[in-house]
Amino acid sequence: MKFVSFNLMSYRDLPADFEQKHDSVWVTPPKTLYDPRIGHDTYHDYIDALEYSIDLGYDAVGVNEHHSNAYGLMPSPNLLGSILSRKIRHSDTTSLIVLGNSLALYNPPIRVAEEFAMLDVLTGGKFIAGFPVGTSMDTNYVYGINPSELRERYYEAHDLIMKAWTTDEVFTWNGKYNQLRYVNTWPRVAQDPHPPVWIPGGGSIETYDFSLKNNYSFSYLSYFGHKYAKKVMGPFWQRAEELGLDDNPYRAGYCQLVCVSETDESAEKEYAEHAMYFFAKCMHIDPRLVEAPGYRTVASLKAGLRSQLDGSAKFGSQLAGEGLGWKDFIERGYIIAGSPDTVAEKLKEAAEELHVGNIILINQVGSMPRELLMKNLQMFAEEVMPKLQDTWPEWDSSDYWPSGFADSYSTPDDQANKQEA
Amino acid sequence: MAQPSEIQIQVNDHVSMALLVAGEGEPVIYLHGAGGLFWDPYLDQLSNQFKVYAPFMPGVGNSTGLETIRDIWGLVLTYYDLFDALEIDAANIVGHSMGGMIGCELAATDPSRVKRLLPIAPAGLFDLENPMGDIFAMLPEELAQRIILDTDSEIAKAMFAMPDDMDEKVAMVITQISTLNAAAKFLWPLPDKGLKDRLYRIKAPTTIIWGKQDGLIPVEYAEVFRSKIAHADLQLVDQASHTVQLEQLGTCLELTLQFLTADNLTQVA
Repeated sequence: MKFVSFNLMSYRDLPADFEQKHDSVWVTPPKTLYDPRIGHDTYHDYIDALEYSIDLGYDAVGVNEHHSNAYGLMPSPNLLGSILSRKIRHSDTTSLIVLGNSLALYNPPIRVAEEFAMLDVLTGGKFIAGFPVGTSMDTNYVYGINPSELRERYYEAHDLIMKAWTTDEVFTWNGKYNQLRYVNTWPRVAQDPHPPVWIPGGGSIETYDFSLKNNYSFSYLSYFGHKYAKKVMGPFWQRAEELGLDDNPYRAGYCQLVCVSETDESAEKEYAEHAMYFFAKCMHIDPRLVEAPGYRTVASLKAGLRSQLDGSAKFGSQLAGEGLGWKDFIERGYIIAGSPDTVAEKLKEAAEELHVGNIILINQVGSMPRELLMKNLQMFAEEVMPKLQDTWPEWDSSDYWPSGFADSYSTPDDQANKQEA
Repeated sequence: MAQPSEIQIQVNDHVSMALLVAGEGEPVIYLHGAGGLFWDPYLDQLSNQFKVYAPFMPGVGNSTGLETIRDIWGLVLTYYDLFDALEIDAANIVGHSMGGMIGCELAATDPSRVKRLLPIAPAGLFDLENPMGDIFAMLPEELAQRIILDTDSEIAKAMFAMPDDMDEKVAMVITQISTLNAAAKFLWPLPDKGLKDRLYRIKAPTTIIWGKQDGLIPVEYAEVFRSKIAHADLQLVDQASHTVQLEQLGTCLELTLQFLTADNLTQVA
């Protein structure tokens, strides 16, 4: 099993009455709530934590992209990735994962091919490329992408980026949304044929097929933990079987909030208020802005609408508003917390039940201060990770994890030979 | 109320359109708004005197091919193809909200294809100083308050009724979302796609109807349409919001019939 130390880079200092006074943590949170001096310290605490994760031997450190969002302060994850690449290049164990760039938002999308290639070269081929569609809040409401075009733009951008990475010659792209006379992205990628690709998603039917058919690793990114993830991973593995593919656990990952302390009791004492901050404030999303019409396809709507309409699917802030607290978060599996033994046991059980090889850890939960974050990272790495690392000994992860610099690259002579042939 | 029949027409090699059809007489084409097409009392009464063709926009109902239409221009050509299929050279067009916007585009692109134009509270403009509401970011009850003055009226209840049965509810919500998605293709993120600069090309005699208390598209927008369309008459209807043709059915029908039957209309040279 492999572990990603992931940081959403949430703003830790939202006012106590944030969710009462304001409609949303996303799209419309008042910018005046952000203090750049606090933000300065916050960014550097989080970068320190990710660098510390490299020292601690996590398999990867991860960053992602959100816009107009007080819990996800990385409009450009590639900026953070480039800072981290300085240390990753010297690491024997840790890769960088940008999870990822929302492809339809980049104009032209070869920008992603270029920046990800830079990160691949900077890290020394220790880079994983994440290609999310992106949430409706980020893509439709904030970046103004037409929901009826979003997925088409995403797939076209993907095809263009892949071609840019795997084609040595200058080529022309005549797409529906992108026309480029000369595509010739520099630098070329360090890995052969390109960095491994992970597809983070919320569990839309189309995403399973896209990941499986391209041999990309699918990551289910929800903040509601392993019990909820079962609803998505079950159908994912079923689809893999239908397509005649093996069930290599590294084909998939899921996201889990984790809080480690000396004992189960001290975990509650230390982390409860920060977990509440996360669910009450960071998950306080205006229902008006959750999903533009057409963001989900009809097939996905059919699969998911019922639980929304009968009230069984709820947002984080609704849950908090209903008086849910730490014990409920634990019971429902939103958070795995407690002593190292407790966390190891529960996480192993969850990973085995979901049959996933990649665990994307949210170790920074809500308003957690620097010291607690560092403690959480350290205790997990030193006392939990060793117990779980050999969970899937029979499976090979190399299709889904970085391979370093390619052994050889085609040269101008190869090109000439190819053309003669 | 008469039951319209639904017909299906392959209008070109990539779009098939479903239409509700009722009545006899001179054809009138009705273009629905972003909320979709319903056979309502306004259409029903219109069909007493005209042959009403009410197409479902591509992506709505049984009309297909939305994904093959790139933009407003593609949509306009699709409707001309529909006119051809119906053997209508120059159409009488009534369009509500987004349908009014499409009607204006049809009349501006090739003025010879539109005989008379009747936009009802048309979309297509956007004023930063006086913005129209964002229909893609509203709760159902907020939308109701924006588009209808009396939210307790029978019309409002009929518009926002939800079935009790869960399967029917899921099916209905999927229909609503698909309809809004089709509308979003031409209205997202703002409905201003340059129509303002094309309105001068409209030569068809035009009557614009607008509810004085329109809560969705401000009534001030009406004057922009009137001033930019060469031969336009503006009729403001009191005690009506955005669903003016249902809220003030009698007045709107009278205005509609008057306009569509007037024989002294001259096309602008």
